[in-house]
Amino acid sequence: MPTLTVPLSRIEGHARAVIEFQGERVISAHFQATELRGFEMLVQGVPAEQVSVIVPRICGVCSTAHHVAAVKALEDACGIAPPPRAIQIRELMMLGQLIQNQATSLFLFTMPDFPGREGVPSLFHLDEHEADIAPRALAIRRLGTRLITLAGGQFIHPVRAVVGGVTSGLDPQAMQTMRQELEDSLALALELVELYWAMFAGLRERIGTLGDDEPTYYLASVHKGHAYYGDVVRVMAPDGSEQHSFAASEYGEDLTLVPVEASYCDGWLYRGQILRANSLARLNLLPEMGTPRADALLRRFREEWGYPAHAILLFDLARAIELIYCMERAMDLLEQELWKGPFRVACGGVEGEGYGLVEAPRGPLIHHYVIEGGIVRQARFLVPTQYNLFAIERALEVAARRYISATSINMELVRAAGRVVRAFDPCIACATH
Amino acid sequence: MGERFAVLQLTGCSGCEVSMLNAENWLHENQLVYMPLILSAEDIPEVNTLLVTGGVYTEDDLYRLRLAARRARQVVPVGTCAVSGGVANLGHRDAVRQVFFDRMERRHVPRLLPRCRPVDAVVPVSRYLTGCPPTPELYMALLFDTPGFEAARTVCIECGRRKTRDRPQRLIGFHGGEVDPEMCLINQGYLCIGSSTRGGCRAPCPRAGHPCVGCRGPSTGFIERSSEEWLESIQRVFRRMTDIPPEEIDRGIRSPQFALFLFQFADYAEAPRDKDKVF
Repeated sequence: MPTLTVPLSRIEGHARAVIEFQGERVISAHFQATELRGFEMLVQGVPAEQVSVIVPRICGVCSTAHHVAAVKALEDACGIAPPPRAIQIRELMMLGQLIQNQATSLFLFTMPDFPGREGVPSLFHLDEHEADIAPRALAIRRLGTRLITLAGGQFIHPVRAVVGGVTSGLDPQAMQTMRQELEDSLALALELVELYWAMFAGLRERIGTLGDDEPTYYLASVHKGHAYYGDVVRVMAPDGSEQHSFAASEYGEDLTLVPVEASYCDGWLYRGQILRANSLARLNLLPEMGTPRADALLRRFREEWGYPAHAILLFDLARAIELIYCMERAMDLLEQELWKGPFRVACGGVEGEGYGLVEAPRGPLIHHYVIEGGIVRQARFLVPTQYNLFAIERALEVAARRYISATSINMELVRAAGRVVRAFDPCIACATH
Repeated sequence: MGERFAVLQLTGCSGCEVSMLNAENWLHENQLVYMPLILSAEDIPEVNTLLVTGGVYTEDDLYRLRLAARRARQVVPVGTCAVSGGVANLGHRDAVRQVFFDRMERRHVPRLLPRCRPVDAVVPVSRYLTGCPPTPELYMALLFDTPGFEAARTVCIECGRRKTRDRPQRLIGFHGGEVDPEMCLINQGYLCIGSSTRGGCRAPCPRAGHPCVGCRGPSTGFIERSSEEWLESIQRVFRRMTDIPPEEIDRGIRSPQFALFLFQFADYAEAPRDKDKVF
């Protein structure tokens, strides 16, 4: 049986698409993770209080999500709730992370895929008349990292969140500088989003016609005016109705992990069905964002693409709206008195079982720990890229059917596979945690 | 267009790449020819400098590292995983390894090596850039020999918290009590090892109220010696500044969080590393 292996770049981590076919019949399409991190095993025997410093190292892109999910899980085990101020500071970290992630995915990962730019290896290799995009995109991206640094302490692997709250408040001067920077950069970000939107329109004929734009279940832990802190996981059914919501501790009732033989990444099903998480799932589950510029973009998005939206490539455009939302929302949070405590409630010691949920860049992230004698005995991480695994594979299969005929393979398939995968912005370090 | 350089990512978290992307001008002055995270290129071309992130953990890592190193004039491991194997060393415990092999049996994917190895266990390297991850400023200083770049000897010197005469009796865990915003963390009873950790990061963690965990590894004086000597230097600091029992400190610094970073140089090297190569 002929096998086509498509190496993948401009994604986070090591993965490939493998398509098996016989004549024009596509037998299977797989998205294979070719590296393993293994943190569920690495943290066994580790003192619980050290987990929030170790787990960010699962992924340098989603480190903040792991940092916050871990402390939330440990707080759940202790039965304590952090003070509101601590939550605001954690939210600010999460916003910084998403600004950084969405800017990276939009500009560095997917922009070189747009029509007319085929074969361009990276954002830094665009034509002369587009040469100014890269430095501007990096500047927006850098805002996210700066926000993580301000709120999280360390610039990649944050340290500020601890069981019971945060170690300390933020410096008012630094907050004001950051707020000003965000405000000054908002026009630039909007300009880049417009540019992206215009390039995206060049794909118009393909959007919603790829064949895998069938509705699925959507999972997201957001509500209007949220900052990705996560409270419950909300589920939208394929018909667009909101199914129900569940707490992190209830994941076992609806989600099943399906082991995969030829990959280090296993996948989840929702009640036995394919599901999707990430940007589009969030937009589908939100009536409005809650900030003016992002809401204007969301209205336009819905006028152009309808609601709920199911076309895979719209995940990309949804990220653009979220980028603006995060900047606006961060500016709001930076007007709060984040230098005034209390920052922390006391915690006698971490013991028992706990669950922590945050809305990570790619969807609802759940950390689940069993702690005995202050030591981690078991850990389980539910990672959004794993939710999307079978949605990615189904989309790859549809693309393969489109480009493989009885007599030839249209090598446009390689490009299509890249686009489909990048729409889900998979993170392999997280997926193989 | 500057010198050609490549970034090879082995098994790791991409944090080193994310940090690198924040280094201003790094791309304008050098010519990036390979970095799969942001650039699609099939083959690793000839380059002047090869930056390597992540540890050597799969047969694929091993193959690509060997291939790439042959095409580079100098190889620079970047970040703790590349320097010493990093966080993956937590798997280097018999019980955990057993779980690994039981649970992660897979087909048609690159096989895992018995343990995660640092880059210099496989190919010769010219310099090391330490940190988990290194700051953008450190990247710039390494790539461009930034004029005027100066790093203090230790994180402690860069932290600037106020030292007092308070002599804590016991270690406070990472999650106990409110952190005083100004006072030295050791005076407050936190197990901060910034006093023996290599400077240059500008101390973001202790400044934010979290003890330094030593991600940049030992300061220059200890690089060529065993970790035992580094651990002893940490003990000396706590003896001088606190009344905390030495057994308590010893237990603390040997716990996993610190172990990620403390055993970076002599212990994991096939041969001692040259301190002048460490950045």
